[in-house]
Amino acid sequence: MKILVATEQFAGAWNKTSWETLAAGQQIAAETNGHLAALVIGKGVAPLADELASAKLDEVFLVEHDLLATYTPDGFKIALAQAIAEAKPDLVLFPHTYQVRDFAPQLAASLGKGMIGDCVGYRVENGRLIFVRQMFQGRTAADVSFEGAGPWFASLQAGAFRGDNVARGAAKAPVKRIAVKLEAAQIRTKPAERFQETKQAVDLTQAPVLVAVGRGIKAPENIPLAAQLAKALGGELCASRPICDEGWLPMDRQVGSSGQTVAPKLYLALGISGAIQHVVGMKGARTIVAINKDEHAPIFEVADYGIVGDIFEMIPAVTKELENTKA
Amino acid sequence: MSPESIERERLDADVLIVGAGPAGLACALHLANLIRKHNESGAQPPLSADNIYVLEKAREPGAHQLSGAVLDPRGLSELVPDFEKHAPLDSPVTDDAAYFLTRSRAWKFPITPPPLRNRGNYVVSLNRLVKWMAGLVEQASVNLFTQFAGAEIIYDGETVAGVITEDKGRDKDGKPKENFTPGYELRAKVTVLAEGPRGSLTKDLVSRLHLDGLNPQAYAIGIKELWEVPAGRIASGAVWHTMGWPLDSSLHGGGWLYGMRENRVSVGLVASLEYHDPRFDPHEAFQRYKTHPHLRRVLEGGTLVRFGAKTIPEGGWYSMPRPYADGVLLIGDSASFLNGQRLKGIHLAIKSGMLAAETILETLRTGDASARTLSSFQKKVDESWIKKELWPVRNFHQGFEHGLYAGLFNTALQMVTGGRGLVDPMRIRPGYEEYHKLAPGAPAAPPRFAGDGKLTFDRLTDVYHSGTRHEEDQPCHLHVADTNICADRCTVEYGNPCQYFCPAAVYEIARTAGALRLKINASNCVHCKTCDIADPYQIITWVPPEGGGGPNYEGM
Amino acid sequence: MKLLVCVKQVPAKDAPLAIAEGGNWIRETDIGFEMNEPDGFALEEALRLKEKHGGEVIALSMGPERAKQAIKEALAKGADRGIHVADDKFFALDPLLTARSLAAAIEREKPDLVLTGLQSDDQGSGQTGVLLAEILGLPHATLIMQIEVQAGGLRVKRELEAGWFQWIELPLPAVLTVQSGINKVRYATLKGIMAAKKKEIVTIARESLGVAPTATQRVERIYVPQKTKKTEFISGTAAEIATKLVEKLRHEARVI
Repeated sequence: MKILVATEQFAGAWNKTSWETLAAGQQIAAETNGHLAALVIGKGVAPLADELASAKLDEVFLVEHDLLATYTPDGFKIALAQAIAEAKPDLVLFPHTYQVRDFAPQLAASLGKGMIGDCVGYRVENGRLIFVRQMFQGRTAADVSFEGAGPWFASLQAGAFRGDNVARGAAKAPVKRIAVKLEAAQIRTKPAERFQETKQAVDLTQAPVLVAVGRGIKAPENIPLAAQLAKALGGELCASRPICDEGWLPMDRQVGSSGQTVAPKLYLALGISGAIQHVVGMKGARTIVAINKDEHAPIFEVADYGIVGDIFEMIPAVTKELENTKA
Repeated sequence: MSPESIERERLDADVLIVGAGPAGLACALHLANLIRKHNESGAQPPLSADNIYVLEKAREPGAHQLSGAVLDPRGLSELVPDFEKHAPLDSPVTDDAAYFLTRSRAWKFPITPPPLRNRGNYVVSLNRLVKWMAGLVEQASVNLFTQFAGAEIIYDGETVAGVITEDKGRDKDGKPKENFTPGYELRAKVTVLAEGPRGSLTKDLVSRLHLDGLNPQAYAIGIKELWEVPAGRIASGAVWHTMGWPLDSSLHGGGWLYGMRENRVSVGLVASLEYHDPRFDPHEAFQRYKTHPHLRRVLEGGTLVRFGAKTIPEGGWYSMPRPYADGVLLIGDSASFLNGQRLKGIHLAIKSGMLAAETILETLRTGDASARTLSSFQKKVDESWIKKELWPVRNFHQGFEHGLYAGLFNTALQMVTGGRGLVDPMRIRPGYEEYHKLAPGAPAAPPRFAGDGKLTFDRLTDVYHSGTRHEEDQPCHLHVADTNICADRCTVEYGNPCQYFCPAAVYEIARTAGALRLKINASNCVHCKTCDIADPYQIITWVPPEGGGGPNYEGM
Repeated sequence: MKLLVCVKQVPAKDAPLAIAEGGNWIRETDIGFEMNEPDGFALEEALRLKEKHGGEVIALSMGPERAKQAIKEALAKGADRGIHVADDKFFALDPLLTARSLAAAIEREKPDLVLTGLQSDDQGSGQTGVLLAEILGLPHATLIMQIEVQAGGLRVKRELEAGWFQWIELPLPAVLTVQSGINKVRYATLKGIMAAKKKEIVTIARESLGVAPTATQRVERIYVPQKTKKTEFISGTAAEIATKLVEKLRHEARVI
């Protein structure tokens, strides 16, 4: 199988999920005895292609054009269609970013193909590739396979694969420039400069690490303790419903059936009993650590690591350990 | 609640029915049929079903409907003669049995007591039945508005002129949000209150116009779960009723288990809201009920599908309010049309709705909606099988005031005296006056029931399975007149029974900064009305939250 | 402006899910259905655009008979007419086939602007709007927070990751997918519900649209993910636990 990983960058800096996709590509290539290539698209991104070439893969494609300096769906679709025509992959993998959502299904459709998006895993079964994605907001999983001939398109959910798993190559892979034809008239949307705004509400779904507090935190004065831990972990603070009901944290920090549904890499549940209303909002997290003084608390049923203990002892201890071992 | 200064859009209807349950829908459908016949006969003035408005607070018809249920088809067969072909009836009753339970044994009654005999009846899901009825009502061109509640009665002096629907789009503090939409002023020639047990408008009306019956209305709480069990555990159409454990003999109530199709089982417990121990927890009692070997046999290994709770008006004939006043009729559970002995009300609700429709037709013909004209509703009820059925059991509920054995004795006596019994009418006190205050130095309350997560569940897990959802940012719909009473008096006198009688964990007594206070988790509310009924100080008033919110009793 | 909104009817949030026989969808008995919440925001945007710039709003939904309820809700809120593409096996269509079918119905209308929600709460592919743009040959933008009509087209604010935003100009006709939570969705009024009864809903059988039934992907099965993990309890003094935990998170789970 020929696999092509389409990476993403902005202003010469990687969107880190690209490396997760590359790791996935390497895994699939290994399992299918396949050929793995990766692609960088933009302008002035040759150094990134060079960086990719150090990974364990067969070749790197560099797709550059003045009109690709800024992302537009038309530009990327047209350019990548040409790149695919030249690279002839069987499978094209993307990280499931906002940008990929904006153009990748269109790219696939322009070639008459479908895309399986936001996959959390895959497996190879009797030589067939089956992707796994979530449906019903994470309450069910679905095995999805491609019909018909390739190239096939799939995007992978952030965090489903580990970017630090990318294997280094024994030797540098060749970097091949693919020339693409692109006219300004073909690009129908005119994007302006990006800008930042402090968003009204915290988007917990974007945080890689979440530290959640429940009733066990007992008083609003204790929340800064948890906030410190969140900071040490590079994550966000969130809470179960009762905490937000009390007004100790704003509603936009609520995780659960009446709040947000999250699936971070790490979810630390502090003093949370694990009522079903909360659990449905976080059980998709990759690793769940629960600290609760009640050994029978239902939260332990979904936790990977459980600590039966006093959160007021454990939070400072863990924070201290993180700070000490940071180097 | 609704400031006078708001400008409300006004709409005028001929008939306004508040509540799309079996009573409200039967009234609407029957009236639409009568109107059609009226028009076909060329009678004057011409009428239109289009001018019948039905309000339903749930997101869709049936969503707030909960009952066991074993349906006596009598009412439905009059409303829809070919109902057997079309109505979603789950199973005809194939077997009925009555049991007396002790903690470990089940003693089957050799002869099923007549009120509990159900051959010829059907096990049904009231939710599905009402959905089907709503479809018929809409086909008849009646306007059925879901997600609208009746928030306030419009009085013109002592005449009911209509209803104001709830304001939508207020935030937690009552301030209008961007999508604020004030409630409508819906005026009608006749308003029909079909709100179910302890209707909020009904409560206001009965109190204001002094429509109370001889006895105060009496209620029970019914707690139900719908289960899916392994095949072969119980036949569909098998109907079991139980007395005894876990309710002690001073507590009036009993449980049920019905076999339904597709390996579904309806199981529940009914407990009268007249118990003495203020810390009695009906939800916990129901959970423990399921652990009885006789029930465990059926349920073990199965899955909980849905949970729900609702109150039941079981006071009987003497508790029924006068069901008419100027411009208004009361039907269904709102007017206590329920046979407390058989614990059946759907057929009576339907019949009451039909009789109301017949009364209303006269009103529409003559334009006279005065109490005097509407009093013909009472006359129709008295001449129908409603009274024939309810009159002989008029003292049934009161007979149990002094416990199970006294109750059985009274019932036997009533059965051979056409309902008269020892005393006729037998008087009762309101249920909330039956609490025994906690003795000073009473032991601390036992820890709350946690459930095993497989056969028994804690409240929060159950609430989750009721599908209850509310717009979060809205004013609290549970009005507690004086929350100081909760911490100052109730804690000492009654131990805050709201924590125990609410099946949905709405009420919590929290300790913050050393002080106790009442915390209300309004969005858990399953609209059962228990709190409005059972609060010892009668300071809780349930008002409808924003329409569309509440439980989702699919399949119940 | 002629505005067309795609609204999908999905199982009600929090409906207990059971897998259907055949294993590739959920059991649809005894669950409620409602309009896909993200589509509600798209509909609200369309209604606001109509209020500001005049025109009509068409609500389009594909699915079995019950999908009409979603259209009726849109009509009750102010949409002018509805189109129902009837298909009982709608759940089994892949995103491309779905989009091709919708596009065939949309093409006849030639709207100025097509709006969809960002994704559906059931399948959650999030591709419909983008695919519609491709099939209809229209420019598009996704995750839109704000829409401004200007001479020659639109100026829209698009949401990017991590608190970044971008304004984009594009000509009409176009397709937009609307971000959730950007507006306060209006309530259906009583008058709106009554008026909706008189508004037209045209039903078109999906098979009659002439879309080739080629599938590009297939859901082989749907299942509730089983908990394969076993909870590892860590014990010791607070300091010992902290050390063990951080070590495991770093090297075993590798999440920090």
